[in-house]
Amino acid sequence: MKAAILSGKGGTGKTTVSTHLAALFPDALYVDMDVEEPNGDLFLNPEWNDRIPVSVIYPEIDNDKCTHCRNCAAFCRFNALIAGKALTISMKEICHGCGGCALVCPSDAIRYRERIIGYVSRGITRFGSPIISGKMDVGEFSGVPLIDRIRTMDRTEALQIIDSPPGTSCTTVAAVEGCDLAVIVTEPTPFALSDMKRTVEMLRTMKLPFAVVINKAGMGDRGVYDYCRDESIDILGEIPFSLELAGAYATGVMLDSVSPQLQKEYRKIMDGMKRKAGMPGVAV
Amino acid sequence: MNKIKETVVISGKGGTGKTSFTASLVPFMDNAVFADCDVDAPNLSILLEGETVEEEEFSGLQRAVHNSSLCSGCGQCLASCRFGAIKGDFSVHAPSCEGCAVCVHVCPENAMTLEDAVVGKVYESETIYGPLVHASLIPGEETSGRLVSRVRGAARELAEATGRTGILIDGPPGIGCAVISSVTGADSVCIVTEPTLSGLYDLKRVYSMVLRFNPAVFIIINKADLSEDVCRDIEDFAAENGVPVLMKIPFNKKIVQSLSNREIPSVAEADFFENLGWKKALETI
Repeated sequence: MKAAILSGKGGTGKTTVSTHLAALFPDALYVDMDVEEPNGDLFLNPEWNDRIPVSVIYPEIDNDKCTHCRNCAAFCRFNALIAGKALTISMKEICHGCGGCALVCPSDAIRYRERIIGYVSRGITRFGSPIISGKMDVGEFSGVPLIDRIRTMDRTEALQIIDSPPGTSCTTVAAVEGCDLAVIVTEPTPFALSDMKRTVEMLRTMKLPFAVVINKAGMGDRGVYDYCRDESIDILGEIPFSLELAGAYATGVMLDSVSPQLQKEYRKIMDGMKRKAGMPGVAV
Repeated sequence: MNKIKETVVISGKGGTGKTSFTASLVPFMDNAVFADCDVDAPNLSILLEGETVEEEEFSGLQRAVHNSSLCSGCGQCLASCRFGAIKGDFSVHAPSCEGCAVCVHVCPENAMTLEDAVVGKVYESETIYGPLVHASLIPGEETSGRLVSRVRGAARELAEATGRTGILIDGPPGIGCAVISSVTGADSVCIVTEPTLSGLYDLKRVYSMVLRFNPAVFIIINKADLSEDVCRDIEDFAAENGVPVLMKIPFNKKIVQSLSNREIPSVAEADFFENLGWKKALETI
């Protein structure tokens, strides 16, 4: 089962839920696809075995061969090429790597080179479970190539927990695609409800089964509960709000200090996830 | 004409309190336009509750459309597409298509064309504090960076047309295209962080991204009492980089309650903010 943990609103507790599930079920592969701000390793303290660079292509123009016909700049939909009278230059950060400029160049003046935009690392967490984590370099625009790289990696684990990016845009879709199940981590506030509705819309468009975990339960209002009831969305579990928990999270302390009741709640969540994916449940 | 001053609120990590802080500034900004650039989780309008006065569709990109009646099935589109957007029957998997036009170029039968794709909407609302420009990206769509640029552009046009002197922007989380589009060329950037390992780690990443654009930077530590140690680490980081810590806001259940009541925290809990040096912070910004 590949389960995407996502949220819509940031800071509702995606990483908290994902890392606790990974710690409680050490068979599971934890995958950090929140490549702009990957935080799972702060809690799981892995030992890395492998660090794979992820590259994208960009055009390099041979201005000795270039006849300054400007076909490339006219073709590029992303304005990544500037063609002057005597010089054509490419702006590699803007390039999407479609390969179109070389196709339309009549003088064979364009070659593609690679540049690194981030790394995917593989290792073992302090709980003995496998982890894969993508990290985009600061200053890059899109983490999608990193997510795509992770998706094509050899992942044989029967249980995979995908810590996904916030929001509902292309990086989130890329992280969720190919999963069997999505779990929306939300909190009982109007902001979280509003963002969660958008996530629900996205998941329904993608035709992916999903359920909800409510974090910071006990604060805020009842809006999220009412919405789940009206839309017949399963609530798999609730993590109560407590300043103690928030303080533990702040310093990276986790499962070691989690109460037996809370461990039970996480087991209940995993049980619900497995049943939702049509698999046998787990002992709670 | 007076230069319009643009202030952007971002965070790196999500959920640190960007929108609560932005909304808290709103009632104290005279003569400003407000903009919500967190286009895939827009929440500022929940607190500012305005009346929508204008609405426009936003098509940030074009996408390939396959005409099967012209297609000869040669497969050149499939072979040339670098985004995996052409399916086995040569139809287009829209979410993967970036609109590069390579398939249009290689198709010998003109069976591929590019068409505008609507990816979101931009709204202008009238609130009691001034105009608000916000947007919503259709869930699952891309080009959020371009939609952010459109929201900022619309806010600027509005400020120019109505002679307003400031633009206050609620930004997106992360460090990617949407954030870069939000802070490029802004005069000042407020980074709202929290004293958690994730908050600090993400603050460092977003700060080094922001530095490239050289705005005035301020740090706001929200939920400042979650961890004294990490809070000190944030203050050390700020001091090392010469960034002023504008405010330290302790966690307060009443703030959560005011948000649940859809009230602006600095208005609903005015005394609380007053005691934290709110006036001085406002003057600095």
